[in-house]
Amino acid sequence: MQISTRQSGTSTIVDVVGDIDLYNSPEIRKVLLENIRDKKVPRIIINLKEVRYIDSSGVASLVEGLKISRNMSSRFMLYGLSPAAREVLELSRLIKVFEVFEDEAQALAAK
Amino acid sequence: MAFSLKLELPSHPQVLSVVRSAVQQFAIVVGFSEEDCRSIILAVDEALANIIRHAYDNRYDQTIELTCRRLGPDLGTDPGTPLEQVCDGLEFVIMDHGRPATPEQMKGRDLDDVRPGGLGIHLMCQTMDQVSYEPRPECNQLRLIKLLKRKTQ
Repeated sequence: MQISTRQSGTSTIVDVVGDIDLYNSPEIRKVLLENIRDKKVPRIIINLKEVRYIDSSGVASLVEGLKISRNMSSRFMLYGLSPAAREVLELSRLIKVFEVFEDEAQALAAK
Repeated sequence: MAFSLKLELPSHPQVLSVVRSAVQQFAIVVGFSEEDCRSIILAVDEALANIIRHAYDNRYDQTIELTCRRLGPDLGTDPGTPLEQVCDGLEFVIMDHGRPATPEQMKGRDLDDVRPGGLGIHLMCQTMDQVSYEPRPECNQLRLIKLLKRKTQ
């Protein structure tokens, strides 16, 4: 899995490539917490377009990021969900907890 | 055609991607749909992750045995014949020698409580047709079954 971050205006976009599982979910957790808690970014957008698989530990990292962002009054968004990523969020009844967008343009345009 | 695949794995999270690939290929050969393949991969991956985290307390030098077996559709027709003998599908038997799961752990948690963690058993039960767990003196055994839904003519 590869993770990189970039800026678009006031939004921080986290690009994730590869599967997110028990082996590498600590890495995504670390990047999310660094940006939300330490750098206090106002809006973080997770690009999951290149993520074919995500397990419950990956979902847990996203939930933790969401919860901390709410505490910090920042926005936490997802886009580009693969069928596998969407299914795991639906099965865990978390799909409605997140702000989910089809693509980056929609996420950036969200009020 | 009945066939099986037996893997002896270290309890290291790095092997999970290898297992997912093997399980995916097995499920494709048996004839599962893309959606069912994703469900099977998720369930087996979650089962192994639970063993690594909970049964082995993240000790990565332990052993997990995974046996994947194609179930035969034509083996039995008598009443009382076990499900796996009359249905076509896949069975996964996963054995470990770690701490047994408690009945509370095997029930999963309330999903209305939005918090990280505790979703693995719920995902297995949602995606598979049968999930059974048996702590034995010699090892813990988790059995997952996914039935093949045949297309109607």
